Amino acid sequence: MTDLLRVRDLSTRFFTEEGQINAVENVSFTVEAGSVLGVVGESGSGKSVTGLSLIDLVESPGKITSGEVWYNNADLAERVEGDRPEAVDGDFVDLRRLSEAERRSLRGSAFSMIFQDPMSSFNPSITVGEQIAEAAEVQRRASANPRSTRSRTQGYGLGRMLLDGALPDRSYTSEESWDRAVELLERVGIPDPAERAEEYPHQFSGGMLQRAMIAQALAGDPDLLVADEPTTALDVTIQAQILDLLADLQETMEMSVVLITHNLGVIARVADRVSVMYAGEVVERGTLTDVFDRPVHPYTKGLLGSVPDIDRPGERLEPIAGNVPDLVDANMPDRCYFADRCPKAMTDCLTRLPEYEVSDSHRARCVLAEREYSEADAVPAERLARPTDGGATGDDGSTASDESAAPDAEVSDD
Amino acid sequence: MTDPLVTVDGLEKYYYENDTLLDRLTGAEPEAVRAVDGVSFDVREGETLGVVGESGCGKSTLAETLMRLREPTGGSVTFDGDPVFELSGGDMDAFRRRAQVMFQDPFSSLDPRMTAGEIITEPLAIHDVGTAAERRERAETLLEEVGLSADQIDRYPHEFSGGQRQRIGFARALAIDPEFVVLDEPVSALDVSVQAQVLNLLADMQAERDLTYLFIAHDLSVVRHISDRVAVMYLGEIVEIGPTEEIFEDPQHPYTKALLESVPRADTDERDRVVETIRGDVPSPRDPPSGCSFRTRCPELIQPPWLDAPQAAFREISEFRTRIENGDIDVDTRWERVGDPDREDRAAFVDALREEAFDEDLPDNDEETVREAIRALADGDREAAAATLRERYRSPCEAIDPALPAGNHPDACLRNEQPADVEAAREEWEADHDAPEVGASSR
Repeated sequence: MTDLLRVRDLSTRFFTEEGQINAVENVSFTVEAGSVLGVVGESGSGKSVTGLSLIDLVESPGKITSGEVWYNNADLAERVEGDRPEAVDGDFVDLRRLSEAERRSLRGSAFSMIFQDPMSSFNPSITVGEQIAEAAEVQRRASANPRSTRSRTQGYGLGRMLLDGALPDRSYTSEESWDRAVELLERVGIPDPAERAEEYPHQFSGGMLQRAMIAQALAGDPDLLVADEPTTALDVTIQAQILDLLADLQETMEMSVVLITHNLGVIARVADRVSVMYAGEVVERGTLTDVFDRPVHPYTKGLLGSVPDIDRPGERLEPIAGNVPDLVDANMPDRCYFADRCPKAMTDCLTRLPEYEVSDSHRARCVLAEREYSEADAVPAERLARPTDGGATGDDGSTASDESAAPDAEVSDD
Repeated sequence: MTDPLVTVDGLEKYYYENDTLLDRLTGAEPEAVRAVDGVSFDVREGETLGVVGESGCGKSTLAETLMRLREPTGGSVTFDGDPVFELSGGDMDAFRRRAQVMFQDPFSSLDPRMTAGEIITEPLAIHDVGTAAERRERAETLLEEVGLSADQIDRYPHEFSGGQRQRIGFARALAIDPEFVVLDEPVSALDVSVQAQVLNLLADMQAERDLTYLFIAHDLSVVRHISDRVAVMYLGEIVEIGPTEEIFEDPQHPYTKALLESVPRADTDERDRVVETIRGDVPSPRDPPSGCSFRTRCPELIQPPWLDAPQAAFREISEFRTRIENGDIDVDTRWERVGDPDREDRAAFVDALREEAFDEDLPDNDEETVREAIRALADGDREAAAATLRERYRSPCEAIDPALPAGNHPDACLRNEQPADVEAAREEWEADHDAPEVGASSR
């Protein structure tokens, strides 16, 4: 299988008043063409920001500070090679070295994204059909003039804007794009698409609206669909429908999908490869079997042990002690970020660790990939229970059920 | 697991819309939203009864009404022999001391201007238990018990993480030493690793203090993990209730089966598991379907006695009929697509719509009936089209409302055992409806 996307050492930081937040730190992964990469992690692990960074949607005060995103597209490579030879490697193009406008021209046609909450992702005052048709129209105008990176703004000049203000009509859509919208709605399994297209978002149920958002994302026939928690807001029966739909689309349209979720069951259902994120880093990645059946990183094990198993009830859960750390740069310890919660922390863990190779397809950011755990090297509890530098108080939220030694991690602001 | 501590009988909570003074003056009919529609069950002493269902099925309203945080519109709740809805004064206070609630959202269920200590001691202050110093001491003990530290007593909610806040909410519920705690989605806002900590805490406290829980959740794995018995709700009604093992290993109601199927397992075999997803969405509680409330999505819809069509075909015909009845099929756009402005080529219209609406092959008789209905539709006679299908494909499920029989593991499905009056109604219905003749009304 060829790779569609190779991400190398991607870092995204937010520069806020509370300090610099390392939302994504040196993340590397590969998305194979026509496959599903699952990105799993808890809230605040940086998985959504990773998705946004891929298609360059990070907004101020956030900034992608380093990294390379190599995208496999021979046409694009040929086009770019003349101007920027350094951004091209064979058929691959490094998106980070392209201009803003060039990257923008890839949105929709090469990459597309769907979001968690379908209710708030649509404009409530415009019909669903019109919103999808608009996306189709943008792609139609762009493909009419593929070389121009300005093509998608064509026709939307100042004069047009004023005219639209005075005489609002459906100028952002055309008959062709409206037909395309209906066709897309039908493709995602909305019954009576022609009639439903005329309706407003509030007339759709959550599941229907999620389908509509998928339709909108497909308007440009993208190579890669980034789906950020696409089923989290939905009930399980509807979730099952949407996952079926995604799997079906992915297969028939030969698209790749990056599926971001906190639900391990969803990952198991659709993903081919998995990246586990913790505190902004990918701590373990590999095929689904690598990660689920042969996890190396204690965090991955902990995550799997925390999920009650619907088919094997009654076993006591083995949660990970403590809480997810906040990601303020000044508070990040200069060692493995998980060491403070790790049941198998060793003295090696007191330094920043590289990613180790477990097998060809399987990598983990943990020394356990290299060596066995040994009691002799265990880190004395008091070294870890100590609060992270930065003056956080020394209370700790430990109990019998929490195990001891859990640092009462800094409280996150929500 | 002995006597029932709480007995709920025919509990109803309707919300009325169009019920303002103006509406009454103009004579508008108030419209009922049936959030909880006649629910009966027991919670036995010392057990955990899990209540599961999808959003909008009325499980949270059930909890709030049961605790008398909302006034019921019908039915009764008995707590340890006392009728909860008739209590007042001192008896009501006593009930409030014995039954407590813990809410879902750790961010909005704690007052941001109160410290953890104030939050936990508030129920004690309201019920006038102990002196201020004693209450504070109690709060410190409780904090330790729920896995926080006593020195955190003067912190404010924003200084705690979500999981810690849920612990405070739980400590508040325990402060007054209740026997019965309603847990309304206590872990659904938490990350999995923290969720597991809180679940363990709930289990430990129950063992330690002999608590009885009513545990409301939409996550089936969590419910299975913590419950002794489980009630499954759909559209304001309980469709199945029974011991956890039986519900999960041997579900009886088609909805329970579908719900269990839909949960993705965190396991590498998950991809190969075949999941029969149920179609469509939950209907609105403003206008619930007649008969069985699940029938619009049910994969096991009962065929009328005179029919013997493949189940999949029967379902498609039923769905098609619903679309005609609701006016969801726009005949004009179909004619446009056929491309016959004079609307003469009925055969083309019929073929096109037949193809569009059905994936399944239909038996000859049914094919003919469906085409007859589509022909009526082509002429713009929606009523006749619906009537043609209704005549032949009416299901007992749309006429008869199943009920929950008595027993250890009852379910409300006409396919299974039903109370005598429901069985009688069904027999009567079957006697009233004879097999229609095929093609009798065709033109």
